Amino acid sequence: MVKMLVPYPENCTGCRFCEMACSVYHDGKVNHADARLQVHRRNVKVDFPSVCTHCVSCGEDCCVLHCPVEAIKKENGIVHVNQDECTACGTCVEVCPFGVMRMEEKAFNCDLCGGDPTCVKFCPMKAIVYEEPKPEQYEKVKKLLKEV
Amino acid sequence: MKGYTGKILKVDLTEEKSHERTFDESYARKYLGGQGFAVELVYHGVPKGSDPLGPKNVLAMAGGTFDGFPVGTGGKVAFAAKSPATGTLAESIMGGSIGPELRHAGYDALEIVGKAESPSYIWIDNGTVEVKDASDLWGKDTREVPEILKKRHGWDVKVACIGVAGEKLSRLASIDCDDRQAGRAGLGAVMGSKNLKAIVIRGTKDLVPADPKKLLDLALHYQKIYEAAPSFVEDTKYGTGEFLGWVNKDRGVFPTRNWQEGVFNEREKIDPYYWATRYVTKNKACFACTKPCGKLFEVKSGKFAGVAIDGIEYETLYSLGGACGNSDVESVAKANELCDLLGLDTISAGVTVGFAMELFQRGIITESETGVNLAWSNASDAVPKMIEMMGNRKGFGDVLADGVKVAAGKIGKGSERYAIHTKGMEPPAYDVRGMKGHGLAYMTSTRGACHLRAGFYAPELVGKFWKWEGIDRFSAVGKGFMVSQTENFMCVYDSVGLCKFSRGFYLIAKLPEVIEAITGLKFSEDELLKIGERIHNMKGNFNAREGVLRKDWLLPARILEDPIPEGVSKGSKISVDEMNLMLDDYMKARGWTSDGVPTPEKLKELGIE
Repeated sequence: MVKMLVPYPENCTGCRFCEMACSVYHDGKVNHADARLQVHRRNVKVDFPSVCTHCVSCGEDCCVLHCPVEAIKKENGIVHVNQDECTACGTCVEVCPFGVMRMEEKAFNCDLCGGDPTCVKFCPMKAIVYEEPKPEQYEKVKKLLKEV
Repeated sequence: MKGYTGKILKVDLTEEKSHERTFDESYARKYLGGQGFAVELVYHGVPKGSDPLGPKNVLAMAGGTFDGFPVGTGGKVAFAAKSPATGTLAESIMGGSIGPELRHAGYDALEIVGKAESPSYIWIDNGTVEVKDASDLWGKDTREVPEILKKRHGWDVKVACIGVAGEKLSRLASIDCDDRQAGRAGLGAVMGSKNLKAIVIRGTKDLVPADPKKLLDLALHYQKIYEAAPSFVEDTKYGTGEFLGWVNKDRGVFPTRNWQEGVFNEREKIDPYYWATRYVTKNKACFACTKPCGKLFEVKSGKFAGVAIDGIEYETLYSLGGACGNSDVESVAKANELCDLLGLDTISAGVTVGFAMELFQRGIITESETGVNLAWSNASDAVPKMIEMMGNRKGFGDVLADGVKVAAGKIGKGSERYAIHTKGMEPPAYDVRGMKGHGLAYMTSTRGACHLRAGFYAPELVGKFWKWEGIDRFSAVGKGFMVSQTENFMCVYDSVGLCKFSRGFYLIAKLPEVIEAITGLKFSEDELLKIGERIHNMKGNFNAREGVLRKDWLLPARILEDPIPEGVSKGSKISVDEMNLMLDDYMKARGWTSDGVPTPEKLKELGIE
């Protein structure tokens, strides 16, 4: 069974710890814009995480399909940006329906921390769970993202 | 020096100018961050005798040493100024994301001076600073303001703002960010007096810890400890009100009907064990909190339908509940929401309404003056109504809008006897007649009656804490030393930016390795406590300079004269002799004069100028 990050918006408290932990784990520093996932703290009623689904739930907005130089590939279920081929054009950032394709000098995204996701370890409320993909949960997040 | 940005931003609203200055390791070693920085800025920035609501007052805001880094519950931000409620140097701490955001924008602290000519807000965009027109925001509530400002500047900006109460200079006014509040000591009125409606920040710069791997390992280590603690389950299910029943029944120190009683006999109705399943729809957290006690409380039907708040906290269940004899939890939620939207401290506002209700009970005021039936039996209606009138300074609300001390001065007719406060600030939810050391802490707290300057409720209610066991809450003996120590302890917590609900997990001994992972600076436990002592002495010295001396710290008559009438603490009060014994002990432990003035030797020892 392939496991993915599954978001549970109703469990999210908006604390944003996952963003910090992700950023420190990957880059040794805190920068929320470089975290491979994003927490939205909208108002008193709405907080939710948005995670990379590795295109199990992107439909037509898939970074893999849209990359003009085919630098983004899906291998063993994991979406990966080839840093040598990426031209930093920004297309993938624009199309990502979850807003979690990132860009510094080149594009980059969630790597599931090699199968032991840091964000999940720091979410005691189980707003992000590492388990079998749940399309209905991804749809919930897509809907929330459109409500801005 | 890692972890810190090494910069402090000063904004002069009169001149519409900003200026940044750097600080070095010696400053960080002396004041640590958060409260330490904020207190230093006020201590050295506010001239003697300044009007708290005048342009010379400094409003300081500083993120703790941990702010912006992955330390569970370590995202607190400190505000400080000379308080309009007490005339003392007062700080107020909150869990909103504005502190971490300030650091990402490149500053560890923000110092605001002067007064804008017209309603304004400060807009800090990664080091670009502007004072902007806020005339369209004036009169708006604490949810409307961020909504408008986020539409204007982007959804990622963070906003701290005041409500109408702050604009109208209520001494109970709070500062709001992310539905969390820096409530105490009227700092919202300091913003209002400067014509400052909001502080808006976007910070996208890197924050770099000294040892990232060590920091994440420590974070995970403590995350496991949090999750294994019984308080994790209680807090995440019921919020801070989880021990309300215990404080009532097992300790008998839940101040009720303006401190006439120590047990609320209708407490079940406001106890979260009874209401959580019905009204809580989601958990909420402060920034960086991985053991959340925040609750989304929603009322879906009835006359208070539509109420949605991050609450109801323990303190508010007391102030807008028990202290007002209000057992209708939906009414408490409504009043809580009004306080949040208007920008009023729920503790002080609720205690002030309870005070008016006792005056009503005694016939000192009547419905012809108040315009509202303030009978205890009408609490459900009266409390939200009166809060709305206070926040807007409408009718009798104007009399109450500055708290019990000012209100008693206006009302006269012996009402002073029923005004429960120290140094002009209304007390939190612990009846100190049955916990005497905590009573001392209400007196010695530099910002007036407070449960968190020393946090001494925990040692006395539980009987043990930190270095001590067998603590007797009914005894006044030995409390002076202990309170002085826990005050230093809490100053350290507020400086690193850690939630006080985590104090049992780290005490002080565990903090140095976390601080080192972030900053690379090494501290011993004693060095940290010395910083705490320094911060407390600065506040004490500031207050003595402003003429607030021991004679002004004393407990109100009710606590000294009226014993708790029923419950397990029945018959207990703090006698004048006990009060003096504790104060004498405290001054000796602090190395202060018997009047409460830090001695030149003590100041020199701590390097305070």
